[in-house]
Amino acid sequence: MNTTVSEEEIQIASVGMGQIVVARKPFRLSAVLGSCVGVALYHPRLAVGGLAHVVLPQSNGRSDNPAKFADTAIPALLQEFQKQGVPPTGLVAKIAGGACMFQMRGPLQIGEGNIQAVREALAKANIPLVAQHVGGTAGRRITLDCSDGSLLVEIAGRHIEIL
Amino acid sequence: MSATSVQSEKLKVLHDLLAAATHEASATMSRWTNGLISLSLDEVRELPLEEVIRGLELDDQLLIMVILSLEGPLGGEMILTFDEQNARQLAASLLNRPVPPEGEWTELEKSALTETGNILACAYMSALSRLIGEDLMPTAPYFLQDYGASVIQQALLPQAMAGDHVLVCRTGFHRHGQELNWRVLFVPHHALREAMEKAIRASA
Repeated sequence: MNTTVSEEEIQIASVGMGQIVVARKPFRLSAVLGSCVGVALYHPRLAVGGLAHVVLPQSNGRSDNPAKFADTAIPALLQEFQKQGVPPTGLVAKIAGGACMFQMRGPLQIGEGNIQAVREALAKANIPLVAQHVGGTAGRRITLDCSDGSLLVEIAGRHIEIL
Repeated sequence: MSATSVQSEKLKVLHDLLAAATHEASATMSRWTNGLISLSLDEVRELPLEEVIRGLELDDQLLIMVILSLEGPLGGEMILTFDEQNARQLAASLLNRPVPPEGEWTELEKSALTETGNILACAYMSALSRLIGEDLMPTAPYFLQDYGASVIQQALLPQAMAGDHVLVCRTGFHRHGQELNWRVLFVPHHALREAMEKAIRASA
């Protein structure tokens, strides 16, 4: 599901699994991540930010919810920016998430795959990846501030970093 | 009959099946806690992926969790969740000690909670195994303190690979009839859901 937040709506938008939200200054976009990866794109000159909550690496041709997959979420996010009159030139990316929340091995260890697929999709779209906070075994709460493009990363209540 | 009513009928029969398993787990839990705690199945819900965290009221809460998975082709995850205060109270009650102040969890406290998860999951899965005629084997439980949303999203991945709606079963706990802020979230993988539905059809 893709959403554009206008100034009349809430100041902080929560971005759920498989969602994309684009917003302007002074809004903030937030997501809680485990193995999912949050992809924050920001246009510093126009002060417009967007957040995609990527769940899985590859769509394998599925087109039902492009925001869910790394390979389709980046193009879908760029399309949302375009609707807001923001060109891809000048956008920068920050990513967070891709943790391994469960101890056992097996198909649920998808965090690393999500990180790799997001990096590849950003490279394909020529969006520079300027900061990242990925991997590990703990959940993260992230907040993108559309005023300045900063990405606040909270690690399960233990510490905070600003990218 | 519309697609929506067929779907809600399917969820209702799944609810009945899982309520029977919960009933047996409740009896075991009551014995483990000297008659203090009982369980009841709150809901079996199918939610759009993007709404599941809000729908389960997890948002960005930091929780104490005990996690178990089901091994083999009929997989799934069972996540026992508590807020900090309730988890401390349960551990203290099981260890017959006063509730300690907040701080690092000791290995003994973690062990009391993981053993609770183990007893609960074994009783639940044993009942469910019998009801559907399939072997369900829980893994060893482990303790985790993290965002509930971060954990549940990983548990939902196998279902997310198959579609945009996910099935989650939520069980509540009661102490002397009063609801506690503990939950069990059971997330069956697609194959287990099919096995449950097949067993229901066979017994109809």
